[in-house]
Amino acid sequence: MIEIENLSKNFGAIQAVRGLNVKVKPGELFCFLGPNGAGKTTTIKMACGLLRPSAGNIRVGGFDVMREPAKVREIIGYIPDTPYLYDRLTPVEFYEFIGDLYGIPRRQVAAELEHSFEIFDLGQYAACLIKDLSHGYRQRLIYAAAFLHNPQVLFIDEPFIGLDPYTIRLIHNLLKRKAGENMTIFLTSHILALIEKLADRIGIIVDGRLTAVGTLEELRAQSLVQGSLEDVFLRLTRPESKEMQNEK
Amino acid sequence: MKKQNYMSDLLIFLKNDCRMLFNLRFAAREQSVFKAVVIGVFAAAILAGLFFLFLDAFRFLSSLGGVGVLLIQHLFGLFFLGLGIMLVLSNIITAYAVFFRAEDVPFLLLQPVSRGTIAVHKYLESALLSSWAFFFIMVPFVSAFAWHQKLPLIFAFWTVLFSIPFVVFCSGIGVILVVLAVRFMPRLRGWVWFSAFFLCLLAFGFYDAFKGTGYKSDDVSFLLAGLVPGIKLASFPLWPSWWVSEGIMALVRERWDRGALLFCVLIANLLFVAMAVEFIGDRFFYGAWERVVSAGERAGLRRAGYGGLSAFTAGFLPPEYRAIILKDIRTLLRDPVQMIQGLLFFGLLGIYFFNLRNLQYHLLAPVWRNLISFLNLFSLATIMCSFCSRFVFPQISLEGHAFWIIGLSPTGMGRVLKIKFMLAVFIMLMISGTLMTISALMLSVPSYVLLITILVAVAVSFALCGLALGLGAVFMDLEQTNPVAIISGFGGTFNLVLSLVYIMAAIIPFGFICHEYILGGISRAWFAAGIAAASVWLAIITTLTAALPLIAGRRSLVSREY
Repeated sequence: MIEIENLSKNFGAIQAVRGLNVKVKPGELFCFLGPNGAGKTTTIKMACGLLRPSAGNIRVGGFDVMREPAKVREIIGYIPDTPYLYDRLTPVEFYEFIGDLYGIPRRQVAAELEHSFEIFDLGQYAACLIKDLSHGYRQRLIYAAAFLHNPQVLFIDEPFIGLDPYTIRLIHNLLKRKAGENMTIFLTSHILALIEKLADRIGIIVDGRLTAVGTLEELRAQSLVQGSLEDVFLRLTRPESKEMQNEK
Repeated sequence: MKKQNYMSDLLIFLKNDCRMLFNLRFAAREQSVFKAVVIGVFAAAILAGLFFLFLDAFRFLSSLGGVGVLLIQHLFGLFFLGLGIMLVLSNIITAYAVFFRAEDVPFLLLQPVSRGTIAVHKYLESALLSSWAFFFIMVPFVSAFAWHQKLPLIFAFWTVLFSIPFVVFCSGIGVILVVLAVRFMPRLRGWVWFSAFFLCLLAFGFYDAFKGTGYKSDDVSFLLAGLVPGIKLASFPLWPSWWVSEGIMALVRERWDRGALLFCVLIANLLFVAMAVEFIGDRFFYGAWERVVSAGERAGLRRAGYGGLSAFTAGFLPPEYRAIILKDIRTLLRDPVQMIQGLLFFGLLGIYFFNLRNLQYHLLAPVWRNLISFLNLFSLATIMCSFCSRFVFPQISLEGHAFWIIGLSPTGMGRVLKIKFMLAVFIMLMISGTLMTISALMLSVPSYVLLITILVAVAVSFALCGLALGLGAVFMDLEQTNPVAIISGFGGTFNLVLSLVYIMAAIIPFGFICHEYILGGISRAWFAAGIAAASVWLAIITTLTAALPLIAGRRSLVSREY
């Protein structure tokens, strides 16, 4: 569903992504891990078509992201780490706006809205301006809107940042269910305990290079660490750091 | 799969924009009544002032007889040409912010709509944002013109009918220039291009000012001669401004066929520009935007440049002073939007001052030169007032967000206020001193006028910086991170009002005394006594305006809980 081949991206003299190769199957929940500045967000932005790769190709749902961007945009959803929302709209108005952009009939939007706002507990804030919503409720609205057009592929950058345990559980279960319904999900996160339970496969990126990819068991085998994902991650990303190992 | 439909996608965006505009009523309820009243009163005063100024100008031209009456007809076209050029220039700046700096662009680029549609949507947004000033100037001019020419009320309707497509047309030109420039111009930081543009204009003005002129005549001829090249340009029938002015006048004179033809020409060209925006947006907008977000930082060069500044300031500034001053300078220089705004504030004034000789004002009678000199001082002071409100007032609130860094350090917020005051005054003194010297030299005013205007500019620099920083500390807003939101509260408005009152109280006494002296209304001895008294008055109001808010601000900062 997502094919990334020899992908590179330069920002001036800085090489953010270097020769990345990843394939994600339909219905797979793929998690991209890496230290800060490793190139995770840049990769996601290139996969969505927001950034132009300096080299390499990306295909999403069989479409080349650079050559057929319009087709790609119709089948994907993207939730950035700090998403933009129109502050002077109400959640209902924003939801309807997204529905219109994707050409979804109003009747269907109304039905989805009722269902979605119930799941995300947004009903009580339906008439408030978005600028008055808390961070958690803004995130809930973004998820509700992102699922409206039922994307085949969903890219999420840091889905759990700044959320309360209830919302984290809500989103965790939702992602799991959507993947079960054959939605391909490509996400990045630093909350390794959650990713351990959530991800089908995990890719680890360091300094723009993919250093390991596979299921948790495969990563354990590659790293020669039989512990948690955190142990595996630390070994694969900072093998020389004695301090980190000693902390454990 | 969704079928692409440009018009319906654009309508979705427009509907969304209308909803947001409608929802502004919630935001309006949160605004202070004081602020609304102050803005309303000042806006009405400016509109009325401009109306009477234009009316006076028309009466003056009318009093000249034949040529003057003829000029009034042509001034209408010249006015639209001038505004059209201003609209294109202001759109270049607005469109850059709307197309390449706005937060919603990544969101829009991910939606299943064509990039051409996004470009047209952004184009209309840019036109709306940059057009309010156009209407603000147009209303008093057109009203004065209609009043003087005794035109029927329908004239207002025809003017609005032609003005709206004209505004959108000019905005489109600005948008096209920006998108193509960002996409294809060699990579240099925005403010480098902007500075280069200003330097070229200044150099041209300087050359033109000193290339020499053998032109000698009376004041009225100067004014008329100055208008002739513009009128000639404005009468060129392929300019959209000509279609507007001629079209409106044709409809007023009930020449329906000519009016309709010119309106259709304007609309056809507007549609062509809109199509060009869509075409360019479709092909180049994404590439241009991507170029902006992917631009690499030249960290090495920059480190070297700032390293030199750091080493230089280390020689004479204590470390905490150096730290805050360097941080503020770096923050300002690395924000191209702020840099461009700052350059715009004073750059346009600088270009105008440099061109005073080009306008032949130095050949005017002494009384006029004195008047222009004090009007220039007033313009400079009002721009300093806006600059302080925009950049200096929010400084402490923005610093308050970083209280955990500076507030908890040995430097403390109290000293931050003092350092920021020193830095702001230094920058203001450099700018105001330079600009007033240029103005005085270009106008060839007597040396005492030069000294007085510089003295007042220095006092204004101290007072406005002290007032803005002091009130900024008293009305510190830790909720907002956006400087524009900080200045739009009660404190920002209060600062603006007090600043305007101060500059009037500071400038009017000196201007009045000099004017009376040049007219021969007072003797030399009375002039000297008057200037001495005005200087004492200036010293008192400057000390009070600068010191009291700073003291109150310092107390507020020290006693505040963060």
